[in-house]
Order: sequence, then C-alpha cells, then structure tokens
Amino acid sequence: MKKRHQQKLVILAIGLVILLNVPIIVIFNIPKAVFGIPVLYTYLFVVWFFSIIITYIIIKRHA
Amino acid sequence: MKKLLIVDDEPNIVMSLEYAFKKQGYLVFIARDGSEAIKIIDDELPDLVVLDIMMPKVDGYETITTLKKNPKFNDIKVIFLSAKSKTKNIEKGLRLGADLYFTKPFSVKKLIIAVNDLLKN
Amino acid sequence: MPNYALVAVIVGYLTMLFGLGIWAEKKSSSRWVHNPWVYALSLAVYCSAWTYYGSVGIAATKGISFLTTYLGPVVALPLWIIVLKRVVLISKQYQVSSIADFMSLRYGNNRSIGALVTGICVIAVLPYIALQLKAVSETFSILSTGQESQSLFTDSTFYIAILLAIFVALFGTRTVDASQGRSGLVFTVAVESLIKLVFFLIIGIYTTFYLFDGTIDIYNKMEDIKGFEKLITFQNIESTINWYFMIALSFFAIFLLPRQFQVSVIENTSASHLKKASWVFPLYLLLFNVFVIFIAWAGKLLLSEDLNPDYYTLYLPLEHGEKLLGLIVFLGGLSSVISMVVVSTLALSTMISNNLILPYGFLKALNDKNPKRNARRIKNIRRIVIFTLIIGAYFFYLNFNIELSLFSIGLIAFVIIAQLAPAFFIGLFWNRGSALAAKTGIISGFFIAFYTLILPFIADVFLKDSNFTSAGPFGIEMLKPYQLLGLNFMPPVTHAFFWSMVFNVMFYMIFSVLKKGNYRERNYAEMVVNAASYGALQENAFVWKGQANKSDIENVLTRFLGEKRTKRALDIFFRKYKIDPKQEQGDARLVNFSEKLLTGSIGAASAKLMIGSVVKEQPVTLVEVLKILEENKETIHANKKLQQQSYDLKRLTKNLQDANNKLIEQDKQKDDFLDTVAHELKTPTASIRAASEVIADSDDMPIELKQKFLNNIVKDADRLSILINNILDLEKLSSGREIMNKTENSLKMTIHKAKDGIYQLALKKGVDVEIRIVEDINLMYDEDRILQVFTNLLSNSLKFVPEKNGKIIINSKIDGEFVVLSFEDNGKGIPIEDIDYVFDKFYQSNNQTIKKPLGSGIGLAISKHIIESHNGIIYIDRQFVNGARFIIKLRIT
Repeated sequence: MKKRHQQKLVILAIGLVILLNVPIIVIFNIPKAVFGIPVLYTYLFVVWFFSIIITYIIIKRHA
Repeated sequence: MKKLLIVDDEPNIVMSLEYAFKKQGYLVFIARDGSEAIKIIDDELPDLVVLDIMMPKVDGYETITTLKKNPKFNDIKVIFLSAKSKTKNIEKGLRLGADLYFTKPFSVKKLIIAVNDLLKN
Repeated sequence: MPNYALVAVIVGYLTMLFGLGIWAEKKSSSRWVHNPWVYALSLAVYCSAWTYYGSVGIAATKGISFLTTYLGPVVALPLWIIVLKRVVLISKQYQVSSIADFMSLRYGNNRSIGALVTGICVIAVLPYIALQLKAVSETFSILSTGQESQSLFTDSTFYIAILLAIFVALFGTRTVDASQGRSGLVFTVAVESLIKLVFFLIIGIYTTFYLFDGTIDIYNKMEDIKGFEKLITFQNIESTINWYFMIALSFFAIFLLPRQFQVSVIENTSASHLKKASWVFPLYLLLFNVFVIFIAWAGKLLLSEDLNPDYYTLYLPLEHGEKLLGLIVFLGGLSSVISMVVVSTLALSTMISNNLILPYGFLKALNDKNPKRNARRIKNIRRIVIFTLIIGAYFFYLNFNIELSLFSIGLIAFVIIAQLAPAFFIGLFWNRGSALAAKTGIISGFFIAFYTLILPFIADVFLKDSNFTSAGPFGIEMLKPYQLLGLNFMPPVTHAFFWSMVFNVMFYMIFSVLKKGNYRERNYAEMVVNAASYGALQENAFVWKGQANKSDIENVLTRFLGEKRTKRALDIFFRKYKIDPKQEQGDARLVNFSEKLLTGSIGAASAKLMIGSVVKEQPVTLVEVLKILEENKETIHANKKLQQQSYDLKRLTKNLQDANNKLIEQDKQKDDFLDTVAHELKTPTASIRAASEVIADSDDMPIELKQKFLNNIVKDADRLSILINNILDLEKLSSGREIMNKTENSLKMTIHKAKDGIYQLALKKGVDVEIRIVEDINLMYDEDRILQVFTNLLSNSLKFVPEKNGKIIINSKIDGEFVVLSFEDNGKGIPIEDIDYVFDKFYQSNNQTIKKPLGSGIGLAISKHIIESHNGIIYIDRQFVNGARFIIKLRIT
C-alpha cells in the first residue's frame, strides 16, 4: 500500500477521534429524535456509516 | 570594449592569456589571487572573470562566493580554469555559480571561443 | 422446552459446526474457505455474549455508553492496514503464534516478557470466558422448563463447558506449529459470526416492526417513561470524559485481545485480506448495533421490571409465546459464546504452552531426538491447558456469578489487556523501547489496575468489607481504590484505566530512555520497527540482502589479507563458480565466501560485520550475525554465552572501527598527495601548452615577445622535468628500492662541492656562504645522494634569506660517535607549527589558507629518506630563532 493511501487512512482515523468525542458530540446532545432514532445516536451512526464509505473508497482506489 | 579579468598565480599562464585576449580586442585585467581580484572587480566591473582555484590567500571558491553574494555583480560571467579535474570539484565550481569550467591543461582557442560566446549572449 | 431437548439442540448445533469445520479444513484452499469475507467475518469473534446480550442491558439501564465498545474499533480500523500489516508480516516471518510470542520477539525474544504477557492475558480473559459460560447458563435456564440444578454433575453449564473444551481441543491442536492457520476453525467462526448477526437482526426487526409499529412508535411510547432522557443523552461532562476513555479502551482491545490477535494475525492467510476487513468489519458492527436500543426500549415497555435487562433479547419473543424465535435467539447467543470461547482458549493455550510451560522447564524433556514423540507431547500439553482453562473459567463463574453484569467483567478484561498497549504500540514504531521498560510498564500498570479495580471487587465479594473501598485502606483517603489521590469524578473502570495507563506509559518511556537494552534486543527492535525493509531480506534464500560492490568487498579483504592473498582467493572463487571477474556487482555467494575467508583472520562475527559494512554501509546492524547465532542456539544455556559474546563483539566493533578510521585517514593522505602531484604536473603543462598555442597562432608577434614566451616554455619544461625526477626519486627511496652506492669520502670535500654548486646563485643574490669545519673526517656514504641533500638545504636557505646581507653558515663537529652538521641561515625561519611536518612530502604550511605547492615541497622529504638510508637523522633545531637551522647527524664507523 502506498504511503499516500496510508496517510489518508491515518487522517480518517484522526478525524474519527475528533468527530466521535468531546466536544463535538456534545453539539448533538439533545433529547430529540429523527425517525424515532435519538439525535445523538443518529449522529454517531451517520459518522460511523461515512467512515465505512470513505475507507471503502480509499481502499478501492488503491486496488 | 568588453572587460576581462584573469585571476591566476601562475605568471606564465597569465602572460599567454593576456596576450591572446588582448589580441581578441578585450580590455584585460590581471589579478594574482582572490583578494586582488575582488578589488579589481569592484573598481572595474569586468564582463567576465577567468578564475583559478588553487591560489594563495583567497582561493577561487571563496572569490566566486563573495562575487555571487553581491547583486551588483550579477551580470559578471565566471569561467573556472583549474588543475582540479575531479567531478566533485567541477560540480562544486558550477554549483557556486560559474558558467563554465575548464581543466588545465586547456586549449587557449577553445577558451577564447567560450568567452566570445558567453559575452555575445 | 425440556432440558434434554435443549441439550440435544446444543449438541446437534455443535456437531453441525464441527462437520462444517472438517469440511472447510479439507477444502482449505477453495474459494469458499480462503477468501477475504471469511477473514473479515472471523474478526467478528469480537462480538461475544457481551455484545449479543450485554449491549441491550446497558442500553436499557445506562444508555448510550454501550456504543463505546464498538466505536473504538471503528476508529481503529482505518489504521488496521498500517499497523496490522506490519504485525502480520513479522509474525509470518518468525512463526509467531500469539501476542505473547510477538511481544517477546519485539523485545529480543525475551522469555520473561512472553511469560508476563501470557499471565496478563490469562488474568484478563479467564473471567471473560467465565462470563460467556454465565450467559449460556442463564439463557439456558430461561429457555428450559426443567429444574434449576445445584449439583455440579447435573448442572448443564458444566457439560456445555466440557463440550466446548472438546471442540477446541479437537480443532485447535491438529498441528504442533501453532503459527499455522487453522482454516476449519476460522471458517466455523465466520459462519457463527454470520449466524449471530442474522439472528440478532431477526429479533431486532421482530421487536421493532412486529411488536411495535416501527422506530417512531417505540420512541413516542418511551418518551413518557421516567428517566428516558438519561438513556439518549449525556447527563454531564464527566460522562463525556468517561466516553472518551472507553473508546480508547476498546481501541486497544481490538488489537490486543488474544482472540483478536489470533484471528486477525495468526489466522491471517493473506495480507490482502486486511483491505476488505477494514470496511466490512465496521459495517458488521454497525448492523449489529442498529436495533440494540429498540430491543432495550421494547423490553422496558413490555416486560416486567424484575427481569434481567441483559436478556431482554430472549425474553421478548418468549413472553409473546414465540418459542421458535426464542430458540433462534438462544442459538445466536450460543454462537457468539462458542466462537469467543473457542478462539480465546485456543489462543491462551498456545501462549501458556509456548511461553510458560515449554520455556520454563519443559524444554529439556523435548531434547531427545524424537520429533514424533515431542509433537505428541506438545499437543497433549495444549489439550490439558485447554481443559484446565475452561474448567477454571467454569469455577470462576460458579464463585463470582453473583452480582457482576456481562458488561463490567468485559470492561475489567479490557483494562487489564490494555496494559499491553504501550509496550505493543509504542514498541512497533519506536526502536528505543526496551524489554526492561516494557516489563516495568506492564507490571506497574497491572498493579494499579489490580489495586483500583480488582482488589475492591474481591474485598466486596469475599471479605464483605466495604470499608476498604469507601474509606480507603487503613482509612487513608488518598488511597481509596476508586478515587486514587482524590480523583473522584470518574467511574471505577475509567479511573483504573486512566491511572494504570499513566504509570504504564510513563514507566515504559522513562525506562526506555534511561537504560538502553542490550544489542540483541535493540536489533530485534530495529527489525520490528523497520519491518518493511526486512521483509525482502527474508525472501532471499541467503541471510543477506542488498547490493555489494565487488571492489568494496575486495578492499575489505585486502585490508586484512593483503593484496596477494586476496587476489589469489578471488581468482579461485571466480573460476570455481564460473563468474566473470569483471562483473561489478557481488552476489550473496561472494559475500558468504568473503566472510568465510575473513573468519580465519578476525572471527566470524566481526567478519560478518566487516563485510556488512561495505554491503550495507551500516556497520552496527547485527541482525544477521544474531540470526546465525540464534540458529545455532540449542539450549537456554547458550543465552548466557550470547551475552558475553555481545560484549566481545562490541569491543571488537570498536577496535575495527578505530582501525577503519585510521585507514580512511591514510587513504585521505594518499589522495591528497596524488592530488598535489597532479596539480604540480598539470600547472606547468598548461602553461607550456598555452604559450605554444599563442606563439603558433600569432605570426605577427614581435620577436622579443616571442623570445619571452619561448623562455617561459623552457622554464616550465625544466620545472616539469625536475618535478618528475623528484617524484621518481622519492618513490624509489621510499619503497627502499634505491641502493646507496656507499664509498669512503671526505665530508669536507662534499660540503665544498655543495657550496660550489650554488655559488653563482649566492653571488647573484649577495648571500655569504661560510663553511666552518673543525676537523675533516672520512665517512662511508653515497656522495651524489648526500650532495643532493646539502644542495637542497642550501638552495632552500637561499630562497628565504634576505638579499644583500643574507648569511648561510655550515658547521661541523664531532660528538661521540656522531658527526653533527648544521646548516643555518638568517632567513625568516620556519613557523613553529610547521616544524613537525616540513619533511612530509608536499607539505604546505597551514597558515597559508590555500594549499598551493611551491614546487620544492618534495625536496626535504627526499633529503630525509637519503639521510635515513645512511642510518642518520635530520631535524630542525627548535632553539634557533634567528632563522632556520637544520641538523644532520651521521654515525662515524
């Protein structure tokens, strides 16, 4: 795997640490729901989902 | 008339070069080492300097370094003329900003052609 | 459902898995078994009963924090490829069989680290396995209609545990080499991963869309429940800090848990599988978590409050009369338990046998040369360990099952396992990390974790003494295990994790920096940290990689063997292997041959070193040497010897280095000399050439000028020929090939001859040359040569004395058995810093900034050689200050 792809993945991991932690998650700390899913959960699931998509794209591009 | 400075501590070589370039119609100045050369460059602002490397007191590398530091001398061309013929010496000479590098022994004719060429451009 | 029916289902299910495993083992290379999906799914061994049942329990009671267990891996997975690729690469090369193996390898095959890591893993994982048994046992009793049993032999959990042990023993110990993949086992794990996910999704969909009218319906109903807000938001900033540490905890766990290391590294069959896993696995986790909250909320809405929320997943269908759905849930949970228990015990048993039992005591028993019996013994050890572990876990479960939830035991395991993190992760990228530091870090971290997490728990359960926890030991507030140093806002797990990591990391770093590991350790570290560059090394059949210049190797050989022997040896070598001697690149054979050749002279290790220094330009890298020593190592006894050798090696390396530096210095001097000679030859040549060219091209040149140019040419030609003569002279003299033609001569006569030689020059410069001879003496010497010396000294003086009133005095006296001649002048003298060097060839004074030979630089060197050939000495009188005074002493006889 090329260095550049590795760097992309490292940046993704750093981004996830930031997005999934204080203080950013506190922004979504509200007792409401989207389609019956609480906002905080929705936010986490969305970040989670996008991290999968981005990882997939980075790896596919490399291959 | 284009001005030419020859810097070398070998009087015999200097003599030959002086004669040959005067014949080509250059105004020729002579310096026996780097410190003399810098003085003449400052006073006369020559168009081209033929520079030896191994000289007493201030050597050719130091001379060109001093020369290139001063923006006033930006347009002065420099040709190294040295017995040092190792690649690393040549590379060093060119890296320091020389336009050409001739190794001794050299052909006076080729040197003249090179000087003419450099000064035409 | 009656007990026996349920047991029959379990046995049937296990049999099915076993059959599947056998099938997969047979078809291990088929597309179905060997593919990245199987690898990615097998990683889901991460989702144990804790995930399957425990998440719902947490979601129903504590809220969002169950997600941290999965968010850690989500953060980790992009880094997966980078970190794991390295680990996998090294593990395959060195037949690593467990994380304990890996860490001991990183720290120089350190036995005690392997044992320590094994210990940590056992302490962490055994309760974790117990927790799985607890889940099986409890779900079993929820589902069954039979009587709860109190006796060991009628307790179904015990039999399930035994069944699992048999399953692991059968699958896990088929080959002795624990680093070999077990494709059958991995395949069953992957299938189980699929089963548990699908079954969990089924119950999720059933709950959300059958029992309720979708997510919005559940949410709206939950809004009326008291404390609902607590379940969907963070209540305070402390809980967000807790959140952060929990994610870090699971981040470590995904790499370090023995079962994860087993499936992701040991069972990895192709590094390319990592790619698929890095997005499939987080997707798997995402799917697993989507319905957790809805099952939890449904349980809260529909079930009675005294039921254990951990098992809402099972209660929900059962309470609604869905027996079959209940069984499906049970089987899904069973799958998660089986895969976790199987892989964990397998990993632990390998560690215990390879890192505890074998190296500490059992190795001797294997020393007889009977490979078959040895293999059987190792297998039996592993099998016994497997049974011991599972039965141990069972008893742990019996004694501790009282109040602990699935979640908290899991987290304790995580905190303990996390103690390996600094030594593992930092050690991967920092070659300075040392074995001592790793041990100190792990032990101190474990001690803190033990004190802040396990001890209070033991105190509560066994001593029924809550004073220890609430007031601190001996009533010391600062030492309260849950609030160390008064840190009072973290929950116990986070608190323990924080403090243990602080000590662990700091000790690891500080000790690494304070004390260097020994060379062997450093080399292993180097190997792991620079795994990429060592990868290629192993693929070569030879223990050598890279390019070697034939001439470089030749140089090294010449240094130690001399030119003749080197040439002869290489000739033989080239003829033997039919290699073209003109080929510039040396191959491994040449390297090996040269090493052997050198071994006789300087010993094997340093031979390796010397050759290595030209092959790779890194004289300190001893990994190769080490590997060779390692291969020969038969018993632990050799270890001690190795340490001694490492010391010897260091000393030798230093000696060689010094010798090398000296040689380089000499080479440099030789180069300088040649440079100067070249310059000296080129300058007059250039001058001659330039002048000739000028004359040839100028027909119109005035005759006087032409004469001048011609004179210059003659002068330069003379200069050139003198120089050439001098150089040849010096060469002859210094190689000892010149034979002195000694005859009896009068010293006085020779001195006068010398004076006559320079008389004209002296007269011209107005210099007075005076000879003071006390008494004449006849000596045996080569008159021409001695004359050459005198003339040289006189003409040097002539150069430096002032014009008009210059004075040169030649003195001679007899001093015991010597004639002492002195040549003194009133010139400018020789600078004190130059006196030691003026007899060196082409020596030029340092205070001249520029090296510009004066052409005479060779004369004194020649004089010195001549005088020494006459057993005499020549030197400069340092006391003389009015000019220069050279002294020559010649022996009379």
